[in-house]
Amino acid sequence: MTADTSPARPVRVVIVDDHKMFRTGVKAELSEVAPGRLEIVGEAPGVDEAIKVVRATHPDVVLLDVHLPGGNGRGGVDVLHGCVAQESLTGQPVRFLALSVSDAADDVIAVIRAGARGYVTKSITGSDLATAIRRVADGDAVFSPRLAGFVLDAFGASAGEIAEIDEELDRLSLREREVMRLIARGYQYKEVAKELFISIKTVETHVSSVLRKLQLSSRHELTTWAMGRKLV
Amino acid sequence: MPVPYAPAPTGVVLEQPRMTRPTDGRWIAGVCAGLAEQVHLPVVWVRVGMALLGLSGPGLVGYVLFWALTPQRERDDVIDPAAPEAPHREKPQRPGGLALGVVIASVGLLFGMSQAIGPRLSLLLPVLAIGAIVVFGLTSADAAQRDRWLGRRSGWPALARLVAGALAVVAGAVVLLSRGQSIGVASDIAVATVIVLLGLLMLIAPLALRLWSDSADARSARARADERADIAAHLHDSVLQTLALIQRQATDPARVATLARVQERELRTYLYGGATDAEASLAAALAVVTDEIEMGHGIPIDVVISGDAQMDDHVHALVRALREALTNAARHGTPPVAVYAAAGPDLIEVFVRDHGPGLDIETIPEDRLGVRESIIGRMTRAGGSATVRRLDPGTEWTLTLPTPTPGSHP
Repeated sequence: MTADTSPARPVRVVIVDDHKMFRTGVKAELSEVAPGRLEIVGEAPGVDEAIKVVRATHPDVVLLDVHLPGGNGRGGVDVLHGCVAQESLTGQPVRFLALSVSDAADDVIAVIRAGARGYVTKSITGSDLATAIRRVADGDAVFSPRLAGFVLDAFGASAGEIAEIDEELDRLSLREREVMRLIARGYQYKEVAKELFISIKTVETHVSSVLRKLQLSSRHELTTWAMGRKLV
Repeated sequence: MPVPYAPAPTGVVLEQPRMTRPTDGRWIAGVCAGLAEQVHLPVVWVRVGMALLGLSGPGLVGYVLFWALTPQRERDDVIDPAAPEAPHREKPQRPGGLALGVVIASVGLLFGMSQAIGPRLSLLLPVLAIGAIVVFGLTSADAAQRDRWLGRRSGWPALARLVAGALAVVAGAVVLLSRGQSIGVASDIAVATVIVLLGLLMLIAPLALRLWSDSADARSARARADERADIAAHLHDSVLQTLALIQRQATDPARVATLARVQERELRTYLYGGATDAEASLAAALAVVTDEIEMGHGIPIDVVISGDAQMDDHVHALVRALREALTNAARHGTPPVAVYAAAGPDLIEVFVRDHGPGLDIETIPEDRLGVRESIIGRMTRAGGSATVRRLDPGTEWTLTLPTPTPGSHP
C-alpha cells in the first residue's frame, strides 16, 4: 500500500449500496484498516436517498454501487447525474468510486462515463479499498485489473491500435497502454512505476489521462456501450 | 443489488383502472356496484337507473353484456403470491344470482320481441329454457373452470360443454317449431328463433373476447412462472447446496472461502453468461483452467482477458503450460494470484503473477520436471517462449505465443 502521508483530516466517505450487510461490512473493514483516516459520514440504500445524503453531507468520496434501486432505474449513473457540481467541505468536487460485483463491461463503462473516478470490485481487500478511496479523494483515478482489461479492449489496444499523439481521444498512447497492461497484470501503482522507471505521480497522470479518454472518447465501442445505457 | 436478469420494468403505462365487479355488496352480479365505482356515482342511482332501463328489453340485455364483459374483482386477501397459478383465485359466482340474471334477461328479450311477433306466452317457457341453459353453461366457466376452457388441462370438458350447449339450442328450436300448427305460426316462430340466436351470439361474443385476452394474460404469466421456476431450480442446485456445505464446514475458513469463491464464479457464469465451450476460444479455456486450479488449491485467482483467440494445437499447449504455471503459483506462491491474457493479432501473451517469496530459475532442482518441461519446454515446442522472473514480492511467468497470420498457416 502507498503510505498516506500526513492525513491532515480524515477523508469523509458516503457508502451507497442497497445491501445493509455490505455497508456494515465495508464500514467495519475501513475503520479497522484505516482508523482515523477515513470517516463514514453517511449511507444510502438507493438512488434518491444517495442524492439527498450527498447534498446534505458534502463528502469527499462516495463509494457507489453500480446497481441500485430507485431513480430512473439506472442505478449509480442516476446518482452521478443527480450529484453534478456537488462539492465537498473543502470545495473540491465530490468524487465517486464505483464498486460492483458486476463483470459486465457496459455497467462499468456507464458509471465511468457518467463521471466516476474509478472502479473496483467488491472482492477488494479492506486496505486496498482504503488506498483507492484516498487516491480518488486526491483526484486521481483508480483502475482495477479488470477495468484495465476492458480499457485495453475498448480502445483496441490489445489489437495493436496506438495513438499517434497523446492527446488523441480515441486511442491509447504507447505509455498509457503499457500502464494499463501492467495494471491488468495485477501490479500496484508503485510496481508499475518501478517497472517503467517513472514516478508514481507519472503513473497516476497516465491513469487519469486514460480515465479522461474513457469519459470523453467517441470511440465506437464506448458509445455503443453508453448508448445501451442511454448516456449519449 | 437488483438482479441483472430482471431488468427494471420500462414504460409501464397505467391505464384507467378496468371496471370490475366487486364480490362484496353486490345484489345480482355486481354490475351496478362496479359501474357506480367506475363513474363515481352512488350505487343507488345506478341501480334505480338500471331498473328503469331494465323495464324495457334493451336495458336488461345491457346488464347482461356488462356482466359478461367485466371481470369479477380478485380479492386481495385471496391472492397468494406463492401460488400464482392457483386456479380458484376468483371467488366462485353464486349460481342463484346468475340464474336470476339470465332469467330476467330472457324475459326482457321476449318483451322486446313481443312487439314484433305478438304476445305468445306459449313461447316463453322453451325460450327461457334455452337461454338459461346455454348462458348458464357458458358463465359457469367464468372463474373456476376457465383453465379448462382455455384447454390448459384438458380439452374434453370444454368441448362437451359446448356440444351440450349447442344441443340445447337445437332441441329448444325443435320444440318451438313442433308447436307450430300453421305456416304463419311457424314463420313467426322461425323469426323468434333467429332473434334468440342473435341474442345468444351477442352474449357469447364478448365472453369469447374476454376469454381470448385472458388466455394472453395466462400465457405471459406462465412464461414468467416458468422462468422463475428455472431460476429457483438453478439456485437450489447451486447456491443453496453451497450454503449448506459452508454451514457444515464453518470452522474451516479456507474451505469456506474456496466454496464461496467457486460458487460465486459459477453463479456469475449463469447470470452474465460467458464462454462455455472450452474448445472454442482461449478465453473459455482460460476460465476452465483457472476454475480448476481455484477449486483444487483453494486460492483465489483474478483473471483478466483482453482480446480472444481461436484454439489450435499451439494454443492448447499454451493453456497447458498456463495450468502448470498456475499450479506452481498455487503451491509455492501467495495469493493474490493474477492472470492476464492479452490476445493480439499476432501474439498471445499470458502473465501469471503471485505474491510469494519468489522462484529463481537457477535454483530449481533438475528433477523439478514441472517447471522445466511442462512450462518452458512445452512453450518452446509450440513455437513460443516462457520466462519467469522475480518481483518484489512474488513471481511472474510470461508465456508468449506468436499466432500465425491468416494465410501463412498451411
